[in-house]
Amino acid sequence: MAAQAIHQFAECITCHAWSPDHSMIAFCPNNTEVHIYKFFTDKWEKLHVLSKHDQIVSGIDWSRSSNKIVTVSHDRNSYVWTQEGQDWVPTLVILKLNRAALCVQWSPKENKFAVGSGAKSVCICYYEQENNWWISKIIRKKHESSVTSVAWHPNNIHLATTSTDGKCRVFSTIIKGVDTRGAQAGASADWKFGEQIAQLDLSSTWTFGVRWSPSGKTLAYAGHSSMIYFVDDVEASPAAQNLTLRDLPLRDILFVSEKMAIGVGFDCNPMIFAADETGLWSFVRFLDERKVTPSTSKASQLSEALGKLYGQSKQGTSSDTVEPSKPRGGAHENCITCIVPLRKGSESIVKQFSTSGLDGKIVVWDLENHITIPK
Amino acid sequence: MASSSPYLESDENLEAIISRIEQKSRKIETHLKQSKPVEALKTALEGSPLKTRDERCKSANWIVVHRAMMAIRDIDGMFNSLDPEYYDILMKYLYRGLSTGDRPTCDQCLKIHEKLTEKAGLGCILRSLADTVNTV
Repeated sequence: MAAQAIHQFAECITCHAWSPDHSMIAFCPNNTEVHIYKFFTDKWEKLHVLSKHDQIVSGIDWSRSSNKIVTVSHDRNSYVWTQEGQDWVPTLVILKLNRAALCVQWSPKENKFAVGSGAKSVCICYYEQENNWWISKIIRKKHESSVTSVAWHPNNIHLATTSTDGKCRVFSTIIKGVDTRGAQAGASADWKFGEQIAQLDLSSTWTFGVRWSPSGKTLAYAGHSSMIYFVDDVEASPAAQNLTLRDLPLRDILFVSEKMAIGVGFDCNPMIFAADETGLWSFVRFLDERKVTPSTSKASQLSEALGKLYGQSKQGTSSDTVEPSKPRGGAHENCITCIVPLRKGSESIVKQFSTSGLDGKIVVWDLENHITIPK
Repeated sequence: MASSSPYLESDENLEAIISRIEQKSRKIETHLKQSKPVEALKTALEGSPLKTRDERCKSANWIVVHRAMMAIRDIDGMFNSLDPEYYDILMKYLYRGLSTGDRPTCDQCLKIHEKLTEKAGLGCILRSLADTVNTV
């Protein structure tokens, strides 16, 4: 099985993140807290409970080098947690939002983080050494609806966002004093903070899960109409590929290498996408093997409903109920909402990753023994 | 499977659209007389006015698609010769048919829906629900 480990932590998990050494995991069990668990010998034990937020924690990110956790919540606040001895100490970051914060990600250099919100804006927060606190600069323009996900380009300046207005945008987040210390090369120096570099209007439905490939050459995001979009060279001359999916939509994406990506979503099963030598992306297969087990789960409910629907038109002829298109029995039982890479050291290819979903499970997947990853 | 877009420009003259639908209608009658219902359906689905908001054009095209759809007897055979690029738009018209409430139309639509879902998957249904730009 490609699923290496399955842990049932709660009834429902909104988001999760791993510590830099992968020994601890932080997640929100669909309430106002963040639980941190550590693996001791043979089982997981709850180590800390971070409770500062008043509403659901919608995004968590744990920085790899600076070991800081940033959490954002529907209560319009964000906290940066630093470990001091045995405790996690929160620092409030005033985002100046009047709507919920929906997603957060540390920048590659971990000197900034981006927060997408329901206020149709993105907050870029950076640390001001003199006053010893985090300052938030808001990109208010352009978005016509909630920002569902954010992704940093490897150059630490460009930020891609997806929104429920159906568009994917790339902004410059260059901040004087943070990014322009020392030699900053390239075209990124031409753009001002908050300026929109590109806008992709490929989807007419909500968009989720935007991610850059490791080199930043390709951008991928999912549309709620069961589509996934791969765009090359967004900043200069965008070349897009629209892939229609056979099944249900995706919620999040992860680039495993330059030529392979994993999509997760309402099918409860990670989907593998790969690009061939010419750069043409296509769906390879589902990662999880499913057993065809009859059970009182969503699939049999679906086939019952379809059977009733078609039964009306059959008028007495023996109704062979339609077989469900996907049998159950896999690792996840409900929608997968979050996928996080587990990188070892400074490897550029991701060989393991974890997913969390509405079923409250966190599943660790191993790719190495199940599929060859094209670089 | 990459998607292609054989659809009309949105700012085309409405009268031109209506006259094209009338032309399609004549072609479809020819196909049906020659007992080629699948060809008729393909002709009906091609060049559908998806981007326009004008109800007359959409209704006119629906009547033409409906005519071709009701003439089909062998549904499995139809899918053998129907290209996948027509699946999404056929699904949209099936839902329009189901919304009429007319018994024979709904019977036919349900029969086709069953097979189309098997062939195209749930994603096809998703796209017919979620797409607010290309409507029938």
